[in-house]
Amino acid sequence: MKVAGGTVLAGSSCAYAVRFLIASGAHGAGVDDISARKWGMVVDLSQCPADCTACLDACREENNVAYHGDPRYDIHWIRKVRLEDESGTEGMGKSVVLLCNHCENPPCAQVCPVQATYKRDDGIVIVDHHRCIGCRYCMIACPYNARQFNFKDNEDWPNKDHPRRSHGVAEACNLCAHRLDEGLLPACVEACRNAGAGALTVGDMNDPDSDISRLIAGSAVKRLKEDLGTEPKVFYIGL
Amino acid sequence: MSDKKLATGGRRTIAVAIAVLIIAFPLGYSIAGYLFAPGDPDGPPFLERPDPKYDSCVRETVFMRYHHWELLRSVREEVVRYGKRGDVGLSKCRDCHTSRERFCDKCHHATSLTPDCFDCHYYP
Amino acid sequence: MDIKFDSIDGNSTAYRLAMASLAVAALAGLGATWYVIEKGLWVTGMTNRVPWGLQIVMAVYYIGLSAGSLVISGLYGVFGKQEYKPFARIAVYVAMLFLIAGLLSILTDQGRMDRVFVEPFVYFNLQSMFSINPILYIGHILICVVYLWALFTERRRLTRVVATTAFGWAFCVHSGTGAIFGFGARVLYESPLLPASFVAAAMASGTALMILVIVGLFRVTKRHVDDRLVLWLGRFLAVCILVVVYFLMVENAYRAYVVELREAAMYYLFGGFHSVLFWGGLMLIGCFIPMFILFYRRTGKKIRWVVIASCLVILGVLCERYVIVLPGLTHPAELFPGLTITESVIEEGIASYSISFLEVLQALGVLGIIGFLFGWGLKYLKLLPDEARYFRPSA
Repeated sequence: MKVAGGTVLAGSSCAYAVRFLIASGAHGAGVDDISARKWGMVVDLSQCPADCTACLDACREENNVAYHGDPRYDIHWIRKVRLEDESGTEGMGKSVVLLCNHCENPPCAQVCPVQATYKRDDGIVIVDHHRCIGCRYCMIACPYNARQFNFKDNEDWPNKDHPRRSHGVAEACNLCAHRLDEGLLPACVEACRNAGAGALTVGDMNDPDSDISRLIAGSAVKRLKEDLGTEPKVFYIGL
Repeated sequence: MSDKKLATGGRRTIAVAIAVLIIAFPLGYSIAGYLFAPGDPDGPPFLERPDPKYDSCVRETVFMRYHHWELLRSVREEVVRYGKRGDVGLSKCRDCHTSRERFCDKCHHATSLTPDCFDCHYYP
Repeated sequence: MDIKFDSIDGNSTAYRLAMASLAVAALAGLGATWYVIEKGLWVTGMTNRVPWGLQIVMAVYYIGLSAGSLVISGLYGVFGKQEYKPFARIAVYVAMLFLIAGLLSILTDQGRMDRVFVEPFVYFNLQSMFSINPILYIGHILICVVYLWALFTERRRLTRVVATTAFGWAFCVHSGTGAIFGFGARVLYESPLLPASFVAAAMASGTALMILVIVGLFRVTKRHVDDRLVLWLGRFLAVCILVVVYFLMVENAYRAYVVELREAAMYYLFGGFHSVLFWGGLMLIGCFIPMFILFYRRTGKKIRWVVIASCLVILGVLCERYVIVLPGLTHPAELFPGLTITESVIEEGIASYSISFLEVLQALGVLGIIGFLFGWGLKYLKLLPDEARYFRPSA
């Protein structure tokens, strides 16, 4: 009995040990490929038409983002809200595009117990859906309501070239990291350009000559809840 | 006196039997799945030959047969966590091994495995 | 002073009936969990705005209840009050069971339960309270196992050492649980007082639980327990409640006083169903009535009233756990100060959440499992002392 118990214990601790060793050290050489860049986004609200949904639809289709028709459970990697000031004056409202801000100090990555949500070396805050245990602590930590959870399974699969998410994992915008890695623009940026608005710009903030660096340096940009110290990398013009 | 001993002895046997059943059930289920899996009637699963699109295979057959899941897992870590996309990936497998039914599922069914990769990653 | 420990026969109808009903509750909980797994977590009433519900409330509640052993082992192991030694075995066993209950509640709440057994222990993130806490909980369970072994084998010095360790570790466990909420994220969570307030509420509910378990067990098994032991615990409970009230008052006064938190404080105190639980369940039933009972000379010295006060405290602390978890989530995180969001695709403003029957079943199921284990322990382990006498140890 004791031998059996001892064997089980030894066997299972070996399994843990192996995974732990693999996890704790070994990522190969050549990862400095992506750390040279720091991705950011500029949203120019003055160019964003109030009733245009090009970016929203493109994101949903590209990334197989779940839609159930229920605001309690729908996933929105990118969404638009209509803001009015408190006097409620007609025509004084504006529409704002909201998405994951890919903070430099992401509170979601800090609280993820398994490091499924983490900040990649190139600044993108991304969820590893293979590792997420679905504890939803990251959703509570995010001050921007940018993260959602797959409460239900998702039947639609518009883009079969890209994986969808199973139930039970949390998710948020990943700045189309799979497209950025191949030199393409995120789906929302491309859709915005194709729609003629050009309100979204994604670029390398480490490169002083990129569009985004020039926009940030040259315009009056604002970020959401800057007082929190999360250092978001989504900048708004005209907020 | 001996009646009481018998009663406790009998109960102990039942408890041990139930414990053994619970512990052995997963193993037994897998073995039964393997024995009774609908496979090819003439032996080990026949995997469809790949339709070669590239010069060489990702790894040799023997390696893939015993380690393809480890390869996929390490590739997944590299791709997702470090952005290091290379030649290996489930979508690239599809280029040569065009059908899940005639390739992947053959061994998976024969060994009664259901990897949940296909819940999210499309493989026709 | 020699105490003989014994187990119960477990042949009475009452025992068998109790075990059977606990098993039924456990099965009902398992069935509810199975249904939740099959359908998806949305059936529990949780939404993207309120991602934590009754399961997390019960998880932190059970973990708080495990503090009873902290009190007893502190009294016996750290402060040397030998007269509480008879209760040590039960206290540690109950604490271990309630920690397991807390872990079970958290486990059944995860989106991917199949990953919970490996990932958090291989990839832990020491910056996350959710990663530190399972280490603390499992460590505490292991300490309880060693503690029980030391108690069963009557190793005095080891018991002393383990009791002190358990006492300190338990403080970390409860502070850590409080820190899940207290260390940032939401306006109604962020508070440096939450870890301390958690410890206080845990000690209050744990002591109340100990009183109920001791009085209940000893009465049912017709063993003698000296009234003065229970009455002392009752007075200790009264002090614990005082500390809880103090922390609650300071926290709410702070939030109401500071201008930028005032709106959130008013929502917490007067803004919803949770306010009813706060004022009625927590303050009235959980704190003021028990304090009155325990401090008032005529009732504080009667076992029956101490038992009633303990029941009320246990209910009140459950309400407290609810108002710690839920208002922080239903209260909106303000993205645009000074502006209102008029159209949005997600739930804006104050989110709604109601406790679902499934979650209640799951909570009862967890209680059923640990109740069953407790009954099993009573019968097969020597947990119960033959008697518990009050005495003043000679110098």
